[in-house]
Amino acid sequence: MIVTPRIFARIAVIVVLGVLLQLSFFSRVMLFDTSPDVLPALVVSLGLLGGSMTGTLAGFSIGFLVDCLMAGTLGGSSLVLLGIGYLAGLFRERFEIHSALVPPLLCMGLTFAAELGFAAVQLMLGVDAPVSTLIVRDVMLKSIFAFFLGWPIYLGVRRVLRPALVEGTRVRRRRQPTVLGA
Amino acid sequence: MPRQLAESQLAHSRRFSTELGLFVYRKQIRRRRAVLTLLILGSFLLLTITYGRGSGGFQNGVSTIFSPLQTVADRALKPARDLVGWFDKTFEARGENSRLKEELAKERMQAIAGQEAQQENAQLRKLVDLDGTPVLASSAYTEVTARVIARSPTLWHTAVAVDAGSSDGVRVDDPVISGDGLVGQVASVQHGSAQVTLITDHTSAVSAKVTPVGAQGVIRPDVGNPEDLILDFIDSTKLVHQGQAVVTAGWSAQGLSSLFPPGIPVGEVTRASVVEQEASQQVHLRPYADLVNLDLVQILTGGSRG
Repeated sequence: MIVTPRIFARIAVIVVLGVLLQLSFFSRVMLFDTSPDVLPALVVSLGLLGGSMTGTLAGFSIGFLVDCLMAGTLGGSSLVLLGIGYLAGLFRERFEIHSALVPPLLCMGLTFAAELGFAAVQLMLGVDAPVSTLIVRDVMLKSIFAFFLGWPIYLGVRRVLRPALVEGTRVRRRRQPTVLGA
Repeated sequence: MPRQLAESQLAHSRRFSTELGLFVYRKQIRRRRAVLTLLILGSFLLLTITYGRGSGGFQNGVSTIFSPLQTVADRALKPARDLVGWFDKTFEARGENSRLKEELAKERMQAIAGQEAQQENAQLRKLVDLDGTPVLASSAYTEVTARVIARSPTLWHTAVAVDAGSSDGVRVDDPVISGDGLVGQVASVQHGSAQVTLITDHTSAVSAKVTPVGAQGVIRPDVGNPEDLILDFIDSTKLVHQGQAVVTAGWSAQGLSSLFPPGIPVGEVTRASVVEQEASQQVHLRPYADLVNLDLVQILTGGSRG
């Protein structure tokens, strides 16, 4: 991906809108007693489209913003999400995405990893209260939600960032001109 | 001869371009790794600096900038949230129907007993010359109503953001309640917004007592389960039973006092386990407040501080 100032601005808008949507909508919607977490899926999409550098920076920014807005300990969410973004970007750089199932599957897998990462960070910082086993169920459900939400998120992000994508430009150039009356 | 020269030049140029490509590629990889390392170190640095005390001004500044956007997003997305909630509740209602019928029969019996208790209570209040007003109404607290505009996405940090802040008189550590019971306390405040740490957050601890037994303990969360709280350090000689109410204790000693005023309903005892040869017992309770579907809350401002 070629990151021009305009594309950088678009990524910034995606990051802010994603965080606002998560905090004001997805976190407050209950499905099967848990709420979907779209932020790892958003970071994965940015990493898959922009590479490891974009994924890492986007993950860090999203985590930082969430921690700032929810008065959490700064750095916890950033640490987890930048790792997710880097892994997604690394996948993009090492492998070709042949199947349409790859982005949602990656979103699911890396959301699972992110939830485990959040748990690890919290345990590292110290948890003074007992931990319910329900948390395992919630992690599973969040990963499943990420599978279903991952594909539309990936498509949406790809659409917004299309001018910067090498494949997108190539596809547009290949299109044949329409000949009237032919 | 000229052909051999041309081939040699071509091979040289190919080798040069490959080497150049490799050099650029390695440089890119080095740069990526440097950025990754820098951000990881930055995250650890932030964790170390802000753990347990927050970053104060910076976090408040970001929240102040974003709180109007959050308010707009909250209002705009409410219909969509309600729609998803309707689907979820309809799905759940099928399973709950039979359970609710059983509960209704039980509640009817309790309501009859409650009416009798109310009559008795009114007589007792006259006797001790109480005015019959709720605990909060007679306290020094002022209630500020606020709307929940955001909720933390992780299971580990359960907090909500509300659209009332220092301009409304809200201060850090103010207790927060809903129409049903205790919700949490204010963690940080900006001009027009505040962040509330819920009682289900792992950092939360509330002193409370079981009524009418009077057994006191500390409420801690069962992290990850918003329907369960644990009342710890209860004297095992005082027997606690299912269905009994738990309210805030509101202690005061040596110039210090609890952040929560006494008498705020917290939850209902669901399970009490007496462990043999133990001085204290653990009581599980279900919070009265629906902590996962909060919409409107009240912040108790003013009041005494230790």
